[in-house]
Amino acid sequence: MSSLCFYVSSITNAMRGKSILEQNGIRAFIIRSSDETVQNGCGYCLLVTSEYELAERLLRSTGMRIRDKQIKNDGP
Amino acid sequence: MIQNTPKSCIYFDNAATTWPKPSCVLRAVQQAMTIYGANPGRSGYQMALAASRAIYSCREAAASFFNLENPSNVIFTQNCTTALNIVIKGLLKYGGRAVVSDLEHNAVMRPLNAISVNKPIFDIASVTPGDTPKTLESFQRCIKPDTRAIICLHASNVFGIRLPIREIGELAHRHGLKFVVDGAQSAGVLPIDMNNDSIDYLCVPGHKGLYGPMGVGMLVCNSDFQLPTLIEGGTGSLSLELNQPGELPDRFESGTLNTAGICGLHAGIEFVKKNGADSIAEHEINIMKYIYRRLSETKEVILYTACPDLINLAPVLSFNLKGHQSEETAQVLASKGIAVRAGLHCAPCAHRSFGTIKTGTVRLAPSKFTTFRDAQYVCKVIESI
Repeated sequence: MSSLCFYVSSITNAMRGKSILEQNGIRAFIIRSSDETVQNGCGYCLLVTSEYELAERLLRSTGMRIRDKQIKNDGP
Repeated sequence: MIQNTPKSCIYFDNAATTWPKPSCVLRAVQQAMTIYGANPGRSGYQMALAASRAIYSCREAAASFFNLENPSNVIFTQNCTTALNIVIKGLLKYGGRAVVSDLEHNAVMRPLNAISVNKPIFDIASVTPGDTPKTLESFQRCIKPDTRAIICLHASNVFGIRLPIREIGELAHRHGLKFVVDGAQSAGVLPIDMNNDSIDYLCVPGHKGLYGPMGVGMLVCNSDFQLPTLIEGGTGSLSLELNQPGELPDRFESGTLNTAGICGLHAGIEFVKKNGADSIAEHEINIMKYIYRRLSETKEVILYTACPDLINLAPVLSFNLKGHQSEETAQVLASKGIAVRAGLHCAPCAHRSFGTIKTGTVRLAPSKFTTFRDAQYVCKVIESI
């Protein structure tokens, strides 16, 4: 199953993002980022398995900085 | 099951720290020590994420409690004093002045003094209890071309005098100034609304009116201005960059957080919400009214304010006995099992304003757990001295 990974810099952003997405009916998972160059070091990913565009719009509407996004094919 | 700690004394020192703590707070601290034992915000395994979730839940609860939209703007600190230091030294790092009230605690005055070179960088406004226009006029007069902020407490930790923060906040913003509120005596007791009260930075302790443990406080930010940091270090984010992250809360949360303290604070906030801050305040002020009325009938007692009411005062009462130093009175009360604080309460400004700098005052402050029986006993003992 594929999923979209939003890279955010901190656990607080990841928690906030997950909360916002779930309030809007989009299930999200938090994992530790595996790509340290994207994060300039440590960070977290928010994984969503559906509603990619809406998820991104919702996250960006809060002013949260998304450092990168990538499609993952192995799912959450 | 954890029970409330049994009362071993008649505790009237709640303006310093509320005690006993609600059983939900004790449980939350123990639960955190047991199941959230990993470092939050550093790893991706289950216990670390669970700890992060618990901390984020407290941010959400605090943001909602103070009517702030973004939980990321709730920064956990060691205490209220640390939060005040971050804001004061950050706002005035590159110059400018602050206006403060004449009732301030040393948590505000000492940081201001520390960054004053050659001469003070603060101007002191007089608070006239119960007279908002006169108080505002005094704040207005203190504003100079290089004033950057108004920094004031919400309620005096010595006399309970309540400042009209909504009107002071509006005044600050009309002049393009930042408005910083020291909510040490009011958070959890008096209503605080970050938006309606025009507050840019709110500094609060966790261990007083919010019923959390000692060792945790909050800096609640409602401003886009990026404050310089006091402390830098590991945040679990952007580790390849040598510069401290700009995003909140990481910018001000270097090092491992006090997870158990934060979980206890969250339980304390929920306790206040469940019981209603208004109801708690009403209970406390009724106890103070009772004590005030009884003490005002005692010739030997000196009182410094009008009878407590929630419009003008927080539930904190100072008094003295004629011919006695405040510490002497406190010692007598302690010998009868009554816990109070005497002396200057780290607020010499307030004592200068009230003419009590030489004697200090004895301070009584109740909590949700204080009973009328406690109040009756305190009055009886004071009357017998």
